Amino acid sequence: MRFRLAGLLGILLLCISLFSISRQDDYGLSTQVDSARSPLVQAFVSVQEADLQGASPAQISQLAYNLNLALFYEENAIRLGSNFYANQSLELSNSTAVQAHRVADSARAQTVFDQVSAYSLAVVAGFGSALLVLEFHRLNDIARKIRLRRIRLE
Amino acid sequence: MVQRRLIVFILLFASFSLIYSSIAYYTLSRPPAQEFMAWGVFSASGSLSNYFSGSEANVPAGKSLSWHFAVTNRMGSIQYVQVVYRLGNNTSISPNATVSGEAVPQLGNSSIFIPNAQTALVNFTWSITSRTSRGGLILLNMTINGKQVSTSVGAVGGQKFRFFFELWTFDVASDSFQYGYKGQNYRVGVPLTVWFNSV
Repeated sequence: MRFRLAGLLGILLLCISLFSISRQDDYGLSTQVDSARSPLVQAFVSVQEADLQGASPAQISQLAYNLNLALFYEENAIRLGSNFYANQSLELSNSTAVQAHRVADSARAQTVFDQVSAYSLAVVAGFGSALLVLEFHRLNDIARKIRLRRIRLE
Repeated sequence: MVQRRLIVFILLFASFSLIYSSIAYYTLSRPPAQEFMAWGVFSASGSLSNYFSGSEANVPAGKSLSWHFAVTNRMGSIQYVQVVYRLGNNTSISPNATVSGEAVPQLGNSSIFIPNAQTALVNFTWSITSRTSRGGLILLNMTINGKQVSTSVGAVGGQKFRFFFELWTFDVASDSFQYGYKGQNYRVGVPLTVWFNSV
């Protein structure tokens, strides 16, 4: 009997984890980046991906600031025909993309952690609630026994 | 008896787990929200009026006007936005909610990245440098954000020029800027128009 119960619990947990992972894959579909894109656009795609993965507004604001700075360098590079600005834009775009990937990974991990925690808590609470309902009469017995012991002591 | 209790326990456990998991799913899900972008062109005084500092809509050559666009992003994620400006006259075909004013030549554009739930300001400082007359039409040479531009669309007597301002957003799927922003089923254009006379 115990093995059956453990088996059922295991199946339930497996279903919940599969459900969480399938949701992650849905997000992952948009991560495909065309390598022919300009570094600035690639950086933007990475930042947008991090945003959709659930990165904090403060992190996205910082990345957006970097993107705008890289865009400013790119515009200056075109306007002045300057290699210096072009390199600055390229470097900043690449570093922003790397940062965005890191932020996205951490946001994804946090999301998985939150989901696993929430669904595990749900299962534990379900177990506790079922146990409480089924064994409620015993609580009454225990309460009665405590009351009797107090009366005897008095 | 024990077996019956176990079945009851499993049923209760499954039911409670389902209820609590539903609560967890609801808590973890993003609340539904309609995605949109909003924007306006503001005068130097920071209002949506008085664009020509009390001189009606008459703009003499050499007068510099400092306007700005305030663009709000409520698309649910960071957006790469481009403001496109065109100059037309009273007979030009206006951009609308579905079609951009591509028949009217573009004077320039400004791009910016805007995080979700934030409003960004884009400067638009312009002046008429000089006017030329051709075939009864007045054509303008202008300076927009420090850049010299010559218009190919003229207006009779320099009257009823129109600025068309369009909002374009970067579409990752097509890898290019697309007119308007992505609505639920189709793209939504939100053009702005400001009339003026060259005097």
